Amino acid sequence: MPAIITVEDLNKHFKVYKHHRGILGPLRNLFSRASSLVRAVDGITFEIKSGELVGYLGPNGAGKSTTLKMLTGLLVPTSGKIIVQDQIPWKNRTNYVAEIGAVFGQRTTLWWDLPVIESLDLLQHIYKIPDDRFQQNLNEFRELLELDTFLNTPVRALSLGQRMRADICAALLHDPKLLFLDEPTIGLDVVAKERIRQFIQHINEERGITVLLTTHDLSDVEKLCKRVMIIDHGKLLYDGKLHLLQEDFGGKRQLIVDFMENYESVSVEGGTITERDGTRMTIHFSSQEITASELINQLSAHYRIRDLEVREPDIETTIRRIYEDRLLEQPE
Amino acid sequence: MANMWYSIDIYRRLISVNIRGQLQYRVSFLFDFLATALITVLAFGSVALILQRFNNIGGWTVFEIAFLFGMAETAFGTMDMIFSGFDPPYFGQRVRIGSFDQMLLRPVNLIAQIFGSQFILRRLGRIIQGSIILLIALTQLDIQWTAIKITMIPIVFVSLVIFFGGLFIIGATLSFWTIESLEVVNLFTYGGTEMIQYPMSIYPDIIRNFFTFILPAIFLLYYPALYILDKPDPLGMPAIAPFLAPFVAMAVFTLAIVIWNYGLRFYQSTGS
Repeated sequence: MPAIITVEDLNKHFKVYKHHRGILGPLRNLFSRASSLVRAVDGITFEIKSGELVGYLGPNGAGKSTTLKMLTGLLVPTSGKIIVQDQIPWKNRTNYVAEIGAVFGQRTTLWWDLPVIESLDLLQHIYKIPDDRFQQNLNEFRELLELDTFLNTPVRALSLGQRMRADICAALLHDPKLLFLDEPTIGLDVVAKERIRQFIQHINEERGITVLLTTHDLSDVEKLCKRVMIIDHGKLLYDGKLHLLQEDFGGKRQLIVDFMENYESVSVEGGTITERDGTRMTIHFSSQEITASELINQLSAHYRIRDLEVREPDIETTIRRIYEDRLLEQPE
Repeated sequence: MANMWYSIDIYRRLISVNIRGQLQYRVSFLFDFLATALITVLAFGSVALILQRFNNIGGWTVFEIAFLFGMAETAFGTMDMIFSGFDPPYFGQRVRIGSFDQMLLRPVNLIAQIFGSQFILRRLGRIIQGSIILLIALTQLDIQWTAIKITMIPIVFVSLVIFFGGLFIIGATLSFWTIESLEVVNLFTYGGTEMIQYPMSIYPDIIRNFFTFILPAIFLLYYPALYILDKPDPLGMPAIAPFLAPFVAMAVFTLAIVIWNYGLRFYQSTGS
């Protein structure tokens, strides 16, 4: 498969000016020269092949959005090379954006006061989509994203999840081969997240659309992406298979057990008890050594259990660990 | 060429969306419409009352001032409606909340999108009141009409629209550099209109010099009006002064486009 995105030694540095406060603050800010340099994206290189579904991970402020803004032509890099579908995004931006789809999670592309369907009609004209193609796509997405219940509702009255579904539909009507998603599940409940994940998977598998999605929700990536890239402080820390990352660097999983009685001593094989507070106990374990169900079976064979909870190691901690302990070398 | 028709088509569709949106809030629309209209009438009414006592301001009668006032109001109202997408506080807000980025993501000429993003219909109140005052002035004044004078009326009107439109664009561009609210820009736009509603000869030198040499608004309405109303020029400008309006307007607008392009490049190199 040929590369659809090529990024080489990409840099984006910002000058951050000192901010003055007070009545004359705004005036002083206009002339102030005191500044510091922030390397939002610092020498990133990667390639994405046609048909891949890649997760771009990192804590807030790591440089995810800045990278995405450069890939979509909104921002011009300080230095480095970006080629997407044989084009340089920020050169001839108007032509370029006609061939990609992009959804930035916290903002909508749709018109606030218009019913969803009218926004979509307007986009048909904007992207010059032929009637039959438009109808075909709309019918398919309506069903998959369950848009019918709110197609005639003004965008301002939609829930966050509904709006996200409408936005994703809007980004795909013109048949882009490449879709950028910035935090597509942010702020959504479990059901809404799942629906969107299934749809993303569908368009990737059935339509062969290449997807690059940023998130700080590890479960998005676990369910969707075989490949992850991790960025922090503007540097690419990891680029490879997700399960390898989890096995090598993920923190331990936690099993939290609430017993019916206050047992004097509890013994567990394959896990470590890290906390004990009355009937409540926290056990750390690693997936390579024991599965959660084995651990639970083992405990319930000897003790009466009131309640259980399995906690996954969260990505923020994993990334911090990787970064602080320099667990990964810089990729070439 | 095909591209231009496409942009115009999209502009037309965006405007119609925007107007339908405004009409959803009927009561609010009606009140805004009436309020804007009332403000214009009250503003001129108070001037007319003062004039009744003093007969004239700087040698200008009530109907001569009505001519300035009506023209300035009508033109500024029209500009404020057509260019509302560039209205600095509104556009600044758009940049701050990131909906400007959404425009960059659409394959449509950016300027067409901004023009299409807002079309404040209630400005019609100001336009209608302004034109009524202008019409009254034109019928009450004994103007010696010539072909040149008749041609000047629409040219002055369009020049005023373009001139203030250019100022709006320059003001909007400032939001690429600063996230603070840009009330200072209103000094030139809203303030500028207030200034040119009265004969420029009544102002102190420093203000008049500013509006002659820095922001040459004096050529947009005051000088054309002197010519149309056959009034002597108390400031002793060259005889060409009454005919400079379209050139001043084009110069300001061109400057605005240059600043806009520069600002956009800056924005794309810094983000917010």
